Amino acid sequence: MSDIILALRNATKLYAGVAAIENVDFELRRGEIHALVGENGAGKSTLTKVMAGVVTLTSGTMQVDGVEAAPRTPLEARHLGIAMVFQENSLVPTMTVAQNLFLGQERFYNRLRGIYIAAQQFLQSLNFDVTPTATVGLLGAAKKQMVEIARAVLHEAKVIIFDEPTATLTPEEKKYFFDLVRDLKRRGVSIVFISHALEEALILADRITILRDGKHVVTDDAANFDRARIVQAMVGRDLSNTLYGSRKTTVRTAGAQVLTVQNLKMAPMVKNNSLSVFAGQITGVFGLVGAGRTETFKVVAGVLKRDFFHGGEVILHGKPVRYRVPAPAVRAGIAYVTEDRKVEGFFETMSVARNIYLGLLAKLPGGRFFLSRREADKVGRIWVEKLKVRATGNDMKVVELSGGNQQKVVIAKSLVQEPDLIIFDEPTRGVDVGAIVEIHELIQRLADEGKAVVVISSYLPEIMALSDRILVSRQGKVVEEFSALEATEEKIMYAAVH
Amino acid sequence: MISAFRTFADRLLGRGDATITVPSFDGALKPNQILEKAETIAQFEAPEDLATDGKALYIADGTAILRLDGAATTEVRRFDRAISALCCLHDGGIAVALDGREVQVFATPSASAAVTFSDPSMNAVNALSPGQQGTLIATNGSTARPYRQWVHDLMERGRTGRVFVLDIAARRVRTIASGLSYAFGACAAGDAVLVSESWRHRLLAIAPDGSQRAILSNLPVYPSRLSPAASGGFWLTAFAARTQLVEFVLRENAYRRRMMAEIDPEYWIAPKLKSGQSFLEPMQGAHIKTMGVIKPWAPPRSYGLVIRLNADGLPLYALHSRVDGVNHGVVAAAEMDGALFALAKGPGRLLRMPLTMIEQELRA
Repeated sequence: MSDIILALRNATKLYAGVAAIENVDFELRRGEIHALVGENGAGKSTLTKVMAGVVTLTSGTMQVDGVEAAPRTPLEARHLGIAMVFQENSLVPTMTVAQNLFLGQERFYNRLRGIYIAAQQFLQSLNFDVTPTATVGLLGAAKKQMVEIARAVLHEAKVIIFDEPTATLTPEEKKYFFDLVRDLKRRGVSIVFISHALEEALILADRITILRDGKHVVTDDAANFDRARIVQAMVGRDLSNTLYGSRKTTVRTAGAQVLTVQNLKMAPMVKNNSLSVFAGQITGVFGLVGAGRTETFKVVAGVLKRDFFHGGEVILHGKPVRYRVPAPAVRAGIAYVTEDRKVEGFFETMSVARNIYLGLLAKLPGGRFFLSRREADKVGRIWVEKLKVRATGNDMKVVELSGGNQQKVVIAKSLVQEPDLIIFDEPTRGVDVGAIVEIHELIQRLADEGKAVVVISSYLPEIMALSDRILVSRQGKVVEEFSALEATEEKIMYAAVH
Repeated sequence: MISAFRTFADRLLGRGDATITVPSFDGALKPNQILEKAETIAQFEAPEDLATDGKALYIADGTAILRLDGAATTEVRRFDRAISALCCLHDGGIAVALDGREVQVFATPSASAAVTFSDPSMNAVNALSPGQQGTLIATNGSTARPYRQWVHDLMERGRTGRVFVLDIAARRVRTIASGLSYAFGACAAGDAVLVSESWRHRLLAIAPDGSQRAILSNLPVYPSRLSPAASGGFWLTAFAARTQLVEFVLRENAYRRRMMAEIDPEYWIAPKLKSGQSFLEPMQGAHIKTMGVIKPWAPPRSYGLVIRLNADGLPLYALHSRVDGVNHGVVAAAEMDGALFALAKGPGRLLRMPLTMIEQELRA
């Protein structure tokens, strides 16, 4: 039996004549963990979608266990023993966890109690704390991800492909995930995983393949890579010093107090939370999923409402405010850049210019009766240039942009409102390293201009690279504050967990 | 009618005036133990205020003015009434407030002749500071309660504080602000006068035309006296920290009235300059004692804090003595010879902190 379980030779996939991948050779060994790394638009997702039968090759061949195969549907791929856990959830939100797990494996008569018991036992065997009777739509992102992973494992696949599996997981959940992947490896399952977190690739993978602009750059043992070499191969330039650079030696001095949150309550996520945000500084907010960070700042921005009874106070520029909807918050100078750009950040079928223009319209009281296409184009052009959004034109739809450029559109949509307080929630989630550097530079520039900036992130290197002061949130409230000069990853994580 | 309904709704829902929240100690006010670790250089029976002329440090202790000579103190002069405020003037003179009702100005610390200011509205003069063109700034906490009954004024939600400018040459008293919620501490800042308004937890800038502007508001503490820092800016002391429990009591009028009528003031639910003296005291933190240790972020009945402000009145950093500390009830601070002296009225201690030590501690 060959050591190679899955191989692609000269794989090319064209979309409307444009190559997403071009003459890519890829080999996956039996029982290995293989990381696929590359910037957004490098062709990682396309390559894995070919393996999983989501798309078919334009030219080239694919072999599974030495036999040529060309799966045309995910079901065909599953029959070949290949399962994929998608970046965007492919679960049915109105069904329960157990029903989602056994979706496609229904028998003539399914006994609900039976599948709940089976699902419970299975989830426990994976050490996943998910209730099988819970409706998937009501679960958080991390738990949905767990269900996706569990479903792939349940199908006893020989090859499991993970597309950005850890993007929504907390550090603790990541550890569980890593243990699970290693356990799968011990059982002889081959793993392909895509990740933007390079440390994960270095820690977890046996081998790493790097793609750039749809082409294969290098495949080598993970032991032969370091962060600098990966980044160099990914982007063709040395970014390691600019991305999550060396330890901070100076921090910005705090300006006037812009925002004060006092004893804020929003059951069950925010519990008596108090914090302050100052002008001319980046305030980093770190915490595990469920720490109430996003919810706190969504209350500030009017996206969520605080508790009706004794819900605490939000004080903006010394005056108590209470926003029931985001529009008055926007007019008061608060911008919230969402963590879930695809759902809350933009209208994906509208053009870049129109999306940015919408941000401007949100600031105008009562909106406008007549909209100006010329103004929209002008505003769009200015911000596309300012934030270096890589789009073929102003009228390009946002859905056609890469993740990093989509994020820039979301940011432009907020910055066009000229806010005083800008809240970035996971600003670089699912964004390629090139765009991360640009977004980080933009955030730093905003603080230098005297804006009050909040960065909520679950990624410690990002928090440490950006923040002047770091607030650590745990179980619904801020429990610790560090200056960027004194903070270490260990100290922050200790505060977040204990 | 609408107002009454709104008040009822606010109390029911905990919003508007009935919001019981307290800002956190974060940013520049981030807690540390610098004040608690400060060197105690002297202990007094009834210390009240500090003043320096740049050469010597003077301490108002009961009815006496003492001068610090190394580690020892020398009595400079004594009065027949308790001193409630003390300051050194630019021309080498010294000014004292006696029992909060009278201000006397001496040409030198030992001079016998005095210029006396006594105004009917002077009832609780609690801080003095040199002003522009040979004037003296005085803050009067309350016209309803004497100085020693400051806690009564808080519980009555007093708003009778005043700021006076005393023209020493013309022997005239001018009121530049009134209706303040306990004025406690002032300092000249250019043409304006910075004033601590304790019960409203803020620092006001009063312009020469009398207009007021809050330059620091919603503090988590009750601010008190101000003094200039040698490198520009100010030192602001705070004698107690706000707590949600006290904020709640301040909104419960009937409860407060009964408490004031029936309970010894020593055991009121109110800020204190020292705590932990009796098991009858509320808010001792017993319920948050874990593994034999009182958590330092427990709701404090007393607290120690000195805030360093820049020239614009924005906080740069703060020196703390937290709930598990002793150096509480800081009412005065003065900078001299590269060190900060602070008076912790709770334990009656004069504390000394070299500025280099403060910088090192803040960097650590």
